[in-house]
Amino acid sequence: MLLQLKNIFKWVNSGGQRIFLLKDINLQVEEGEFISVMGPSGSGKSTLLNVIGMLDTFDEGEYHFLDESVHTLKEKHRSNLYKEYIGFVFQSYHLLDDLKVYENLEMPLLYKKFKGSERRAMVADMLDRFNIVGKKDLFPAQLSGGQQQLVGVARALIANPKLILADEPTGNLNSQQSEEIMQLFKRLNEEDGVTIIQVTHSEKNAAYGSRVINLLDGRMV
Amino acid sequence: MFKNHLKIAWRSLKKQPFFTFLNTFGLAIGMAGALLIALYIHDELSYDKMFADADRIYRINADVKFGGLPEQLGESPEPMAETLMRDYPQVELATRIRDQGSVLIRKANVTSNVKELNSAFVDSTFFKMFGLAFLDGDVTTALTEPNTLVLTRTAAEKHFGVNNAVGQEMVLNNLGTFRVTGVMEDMPKNSLLRDHTVFISMPSFQFAQIGHWGSLNYYTFVKMVPTADMANFQEGLDSLLGRYLIPWIQDYYPGMTEASFRASGNFINYSAMSLTDIHLQSNMKTELSANGSMQNIYILSFVAIFLVVLAVVNFMNLSTAYSLKRAKEVGVRKTLGSDKSDLVRQFLTESGFICFLSLLLAVGVAFLVLPLFNDLADKAISIPFQNPMFWAILIGATLVVGVLSGTYPAFFMSRFIPVKVLKGSGLSDVGGSKVRNSLVVFQFAISILLIVATVVVYQQLNFIQSKELGYEKAQILVLEDINNVNGQEQSLKREVLRLGQVQSATLSSFLPTPSARTGQTFFKEGANNQEDAINMENWRVDHDYLSTLGLELITGRDFDVRIPTDSSAVIINEATLKTLNVSAENAIGLRISSDLGASEDAITYQTIIGVVRNFHYDSMRKNIEALCLGIGRFPGSLAIKMGTQDVTATVSAIEGIWNTIAPGQPFNYYFLDDSFNDSYDAEQRLGQIFSVFTVLSILIACLGLFGLATFNAQRRTKEIGIRKVLGASISQISYRLTTDFLKMVGWAIIISLPIGWYAMNQWLQDFSYRIEVQWWMLLLAAFLAIAIAVLTVGYQSIRAAVANPVKSLRAE
Ligand SMILES: Nc1ncnc2c1ncn2[C@@H]1O[C@H](COP(=O)(O)OP(=O)(O)OP(=O)(O)O)[C@@H](O)[C@H]1O
Ligand SMILES: [Mg+2]
Repeated sequence: MLLQLKNIFKWVNSGGQRIFLLKDINLQVEEGEFISVMGPSGSGKSTLLNVIGMLDTFDEGEYHFLDESVHTLKEKHRSNLYKEYIGFVFQSYHLLDDLKVYENLEMPLLYKKFKGSERRAMVADMLDRFNIVGKKDLFPAQLSGGQQQLVGVARALIANPKLILADEPTGNLNSQQSEEIMQLFKRLNEEDGVTIIQVTHSEKNAAYGSRVINLLDGRMV
Repeated sequence: MFKNHLKIAWRSLKKQPFFTFLNTFGLAIGMAGALLIALYIHDELSYDKMFADADRIYRINADVKFGGLPEQLGESPEPMAETLMRDYPQVELATRIRDQGSVLIRKANVTSNVKELNSAFVDSTFFKMFGLAFLDGDVTTALTEPNTLVLTRTAAEKHFGVNNAVGQEMVLNNLGTFRVTGVMEDMPKNSLLRDHTVFISMPSFQFAQIGHWGSLNYYTFVKMVPTADMANFQEGLDSLLGRYLIPWIQDYYPGMTEASFRASGNFINYSAMSLTDIHLQSNMKTELSANGSMQNIYILSFVAIFLVVLAVVNFMNLSTAYSLKRAKEVGVRKTLGSDKSDLVRQFLTESGFICFLSLLLAVGVAFLVLPLFNDLADKAISIPFQNPMFWAILIGATLVVGVLSGTYPAFFMSRFIPVKVLKGSGLSDVGGSKVRNSLVVFQFAISILLIVATVVVYQQLNFIQSKELGYEKAQILVLEDINNVNGQEQSLKREVLRLGQVQSATLSSFLPTPSARTGQTFFKEGANNQEDAINMENWRVDHDYLSTLGLELITGRDFDVRIPTDSSAVIINEATLKTLNVSAENAIGLRISSDLGASEDAITYQTIIGVVRNFHYDSMRKNIEALCLGIGRFPGSLAIKMGTQDVTATVSAIEGIWNTIAPGQPFNYYFLDDSFNDSYDAEQRLGQIFSVFTVLSILIACLGLFGLATFNAQRRTKEIGIRKVLGASISQISYRLTTDFLKMVGWAIIISLPIGWYAMNQWLQDFSYRIEVQWWMLLLAAFLAIAIAVLTVGYQSIRAAVANPVKSLRAE
């Protein structure tokens, strides 16, 4: 078991009223799963993903990740945990515009204090695997959306995370580009055993996964 | 990691050239200003420290009240040095300097004189005291004999060259013939003897041998042994009164004891002042050279700190504002595993980078403007590029500035929360605008304070310079060194009066501009005692003094050549009436004398024949004090009142007359109003320095405001676009954008005006004759601040308002 959410609640207070963003979420994810989260706009998909990614907190419930109880951890510990095991892929890529492709890839490694030679080897390996060696000296703005997302996925993967969280990774891409990214996810999941949780609006994309979770008004249905 | 930080720093700075420029430029201006001030203060603090054993050398000061008004003097009686040497083993060496002022000097075999501006009689131990080395001659014996003198290098070169001077004969006007026995290096520019070029042996000075405790004319310096106990020495100084002064006074006032001396409110307190304190802390009636003031050092330090703080504030402001653009970067980095401390290091690297860029720019700017600054501050400062200490301090200071200015933005940015900043793709608000706004308020408050200060200083200067002085200072030429015409003063005056443009002329050493003059003790007939004695200045003038200087009689009459008894008559000023406690009418005919304590038949009385309206003969800092004018001889200068026509021609005509009457003597003259203006040099410099730094601080504040306005306009592009699409006019939008900033300026005005009003009133207290801080001065400062803000922000606001909304909306 990779992670487990038990009776997770998240709310905000607005005008004396408590508005629930997540209501009683119970979810268990095994290593090697490929999960798609679906639901109408505003149903809490991104919120859930952020909670799983430990970027956001929750108000009630328990969250176990591997052997750790996330809900009892200090922020510093939490960030060490996600640094170590989780990679993020965003809808709008969020590559750093000032950095070249290979520098974008290198960045997570810097934060994990890999040596220079190791970093070079790992970046070269990633460039190879994603077939973007020729683009390594370009800046993000010089790439197409699909290529940018390719780099985004490569960046999420470079430090060998156990879990990839992707919030509408193909939301900004055309259908052919989407297809490529989804194929890539599938391969990663099947060949490398990477656990993936993706948010998507498309039934077609959801079909790549092994399980679908539906959200409505912050509740799993 | 650091290399990576540096690389990213360089890229992100390059990517925002406008922001980088504003930040670098603002910091550089602040740093350059502070650097110049620091160099200035360093120079002021270095005075007299170059002398060997400077820390063991002291000057004996005297705090004296003996009849008359109390006085503080840097000079001591003639026997002081010898007495201290003899009585106190703690004193290793004592030496005297008797200032002689300017002298006319020539080689024995030529006729034309050269004027040396500063000379002094000194004891032979003088060179040993200050550790001065000779270029030629024997330093130990040079000034042991009468009629010997030592020249500085510069002075020697004028006549002989450095190596041929020793052994030559020279003639000093009015003093006799002297033999050059030594040539020394010029005195350091930052020493109290910087302007002295001729040192004459003390044995040449006839009055130096009479053991007279009553004259206070000798600057006495002592070098203490290294183990000396200064508190103990002070006790020794305190005992001098009883042991030496009272016995000496008893010759004149038989029966006077220390107790009765003190009982009449008199005192003579000697104290030792460290040589290295003299330049900044001594403010005596006479000094060997003009001193600086600690007050100015404080004011300038404040200005320097202000400048740096303004620049730092600017930096913080711009950095946090522009950090909105980097919010996404922070978010992404955090999700990729960067922790806070790493981000803090990244941003600190960036601010450090900008600081060092600014440092280079600042040193360059300081180097370029140094000549102007030297001119302004009347200094000869250079930047000590070769001194490693200078660089060490500079780099240290830059690091401090870097940390000061970078820390807040770094922590501010590193706190961004990924889920918030990664939502959407536009520029979201990341907060901190309250801090930014307060900083802008702070900057403007300081700028307004400086504007108020500048306006008030200039108004006061203007007030002084245009104030009704009670005498005519315009068109009066003062011819100096009249004592060198060998008794032909009268014919000189007669000849000058024949010139068509000359209206009148007067022979006198006493002119109504601030200068070192001492008072004299007088008493009213019938009140020959200490208690009733008054102190007043006693000016020796001639019969044309009142008419030439335009002094106005309020009662009585002017001196009259046809009345022989007028040689012992005096004219007093209004202030004297008060000290004598008589009305103007009753004063006429009253007799006064300065022979205090003498027996009745030995007293010479002077009769008051007139009273002149008070005139400002001293600085406006001081009240007008008692003064009497009497007919005197041996005038030092001839004051000539001229018409306004053909001034140059008249001056050369006067020079012609001078050259026939006093061939070979230098023709020195000045105009009275120039001399008057010079005496407010300190205020003028302060005014100029204030205005320069006010402009700098405003410039820095404007850079900051401009940056914020630009940024604000960018951030609100979408809002502006929507408003326009919905029908808002350009003026409505620019008004909206501008008023936000004006509100801050408003706060700054509210905060700074009361402080400015208070501070400048305090400054004005120094002047006996002064303006009031008026509401229009404050209003002017406020108005200027608003105008500057509108100009700075308005441009950006209008530009944002006229932009095509379709474009700006698509960009979002
Ligand atoms: N800080 C907040 N305060 C109040 N409400 C919030 C806050 N953050 C999110 N919400 C609300 O929580 C709900 C879920 O938001 P979330 O972003 O998770 O939706 P989503 O399912 O990802 O939608 P979409 O498909 O449009 O991205 C929304 O109704 C949103 O308005
Ligand atoms: Mg979402």
